[in-house]
Amino acid sequence: MLVENVTMLGHKDHGKSTLIGSILMLTNSVSNTRIEEAKRYSEKLGKSFEPAFILDSLEEEREGGLTIDSTRAEAKYKDLAFEFIDVPGHEELIKNMMSGASFAETAILLVSAKPGEGIRKQTKRHVFVAKMLGIENLIVAVNKMDTINYDENAYNKITKLIGKFLSNIKFDGIIRYVPISAYNGENIIRRSDKMKWYNGMPLLEELYRMTKGAGKKDKNKFNKLRAVVQGYIEDGNKKLISAKILNGKIEKGKITFFPGNIERYAKKIILKGRAVAKAGEGSSVAIELDKDIENPRGLVITKEGEEPIVANKLNALIFTLAKLTPSSKIVIRFLGNEVKCNKLSIIKHIDTTTGALSKKSLIEPLNAGILDLELESDIAFERYNILKSMGRFSFYIENKFGGIGIVE
Amino acid sequence: MIEQNLKELEERSIFILREARSKFKNIAALWSMGKDSTTMLALARKAFLGKVPFPVIHIDNGIDFPETYKFREELTKKWKLNLIVAKSEIKPEISGFSCCGANKTEALKKVMKQYKFDALIVSIRRDEHGVRAKERVFSPRDKNFRWNYKDQPAELWDDYSSKIENEGHVRIHPLLDWNEIDIWNYIKKEHIPVNPLYFSRNGFRYRSLGCTHCTVPLKSNAKTVDDIIKELKTTNVEERAGREQDKEREYVMQKLRALGYM
Repeated sequence: MLVENVTMLGHKDHGKSTLIGSILMLTNSVSNTRIEEAKRYSEKLGKSFEPAFILDSLEEEREGGLTIDSTRAEAKYKDLAFEFIDVPGHEELIKNMMSGASFAETAILLVSAKPGEGIRKQTKRHVFVAKMLGIENLIVAVNKMDTINYDENAYNKITKLIGKFLSNIKFDGIIRYVPISAYNGENIIRRSDKMKWYNGMPLLEELYRMTKGAGKKDKNKFNKLRAVVQGYIEDGNKKLISAKILNGKIEKGKITFFPGNIERYAKKIILKGRAVAKAGEGSSVAIELDKDIENPRGLVITKEGEEPIVANKLNALIFTLAKLTPSSKIVIRFLGNEVKCNKLSIIKHIDTTTGALSKKSLIEPLNAGILDLELESDIAFERYNILKSMGRFSFYIENKFGGIGIVE
Repeated sequence: MIEQNLKELEERSIFILREARSKFKNIAALWSMGKDSTTMLALARKAFLGKVPFPVIHIDNGIDFPETYKFREELTKKWKLNLIVAKSEIKPEISGFSCCGANKTEALKKVMKQYKFDALIVSIRRDEHGVRAKERVFSPRDKNFRWNYKDQPAELWDDYSSKIENEGHVRIHPLLDWNEIDIWNYIKKEHIPVNPLYFSRNGFRYRSLGCTHCTVPLKSNAKTVDDIIKELKTTNVEERAGREQDKEREYVMQKLRALGYM
């Protein structure tokens, strides 16, 4: 069965966990034991039944009424399965939100329509970061419609504002808007009687059509071999290279390793223990070479004459958790290796809650920027819009996770 | 129960196992002789050209089922495993939380220290338990084996960046994405040997295997791998329903895991 990863996005308390809990129940994807347990615990805390407790299973999460770390749950819908990734909505937990959201290409953005809630900082920040993490399709679910008597005008107001923000940050994927009540299960799996003015499909149907449509999208024509070396595997007294194929196909014959432009001959390709003629994207292979390579981890394998970009200077869009200045000491993690950054120049500051660009000498925490980076050594990469897996990196500031970047 | 694409799951697990092997100097795996850790060993054999290149640890409290011991001996010989048996003390008066916590975790601590392992492969899955669903693929433990679930490292895309913190070790979870039914589908496809306790005898079978004190069999007539797959497609019973330690107290799994349990 095809499983589509779908991440939740949105400000704290706008209903991310509740929505997944509701979906799991409406699609019969969760055992009675688990529902009963969540019910019992809601009662114990003196609350009415909280579907979010199906997801939030840590004591601190239930007592505190928040999601601390991301989690996943699967639901079947028609001939598809969705793996919903729940993420925390709190600003200080954005690292965990990023860890969860990085697995998905589709997202549901929760915006509460409840008076006093609406579009908040994390609503916008999450979309900004998600786009950088690789989200291509977005459903904007305007939640808690029950608290405003399912009012069409209030809904339209919110969708208009979100639409404006999405165009400000140049979100260019598919976008759909659905009014829902996650708690009451309105417009999730069936059309809601309470919102007859809404012409679209219920949430899961929109999601289903989006997923089906996305598969047919014309992928970039980029089909060159790109594989990244993990390390060595010993086979008796032979040493084989282990590598993951990021793009294209690998075959026996001449191959080149970058950086370094090291030419070798691939004598044998082994896939899952068997010698094969070729192996394609996503495979982890073992390669027998005519001659060893020293410290191969992180090297990029290509076919002869199809070299990637090799440089120590990058122009990147980054999102940072902590303040970044030209004197920040950062290390980037790229294709499984760490590379020190010697020089960092700030070209532009981007406010992640408005999309506005400005000139600043630093990047404020939880905002983005365009940087020029000068690395200690060369890396072999591709631009993000050509090949995602070779155009993105994460970075660390003083050994602490600092954020992500994509090569423009 | 949702059946995922076995080829994709297999590729991911092989990648994770190789990543672990190239990042850490001295790794070992926990092997309970259950279906998950045995499947993990089968995946390791695919990843490392037919061999399991690291020692496998059985935390043995002496009260596992006789079938489990027999299965251990047979497969150790067949797959030429480097088996380490870590004896854990068992006191008849304690069970459940204190048993798994104090006894099993202590035995694990001892063996990790003795062999100076810096990474430990553990075959947990996200769909087993809400708390396990919160895990990272590479998950650091401090020197007291504590899991800091409130501040886990970032884990983006397939970049597993966790490092060893404060002289601790890193737990590697290559099966985190698998569902129970995927394990059985894979066992079927790859003809992986399984502990006979999983099959029904007199109307009961074990769906999740622990030791004789804390595991009870569930009602089932599934006598073959195919029967089990069929059963899982329709069941509404949780996999760990026969595991006593999961139930005795609120958040017992969370507490056990925070202290170093699997």
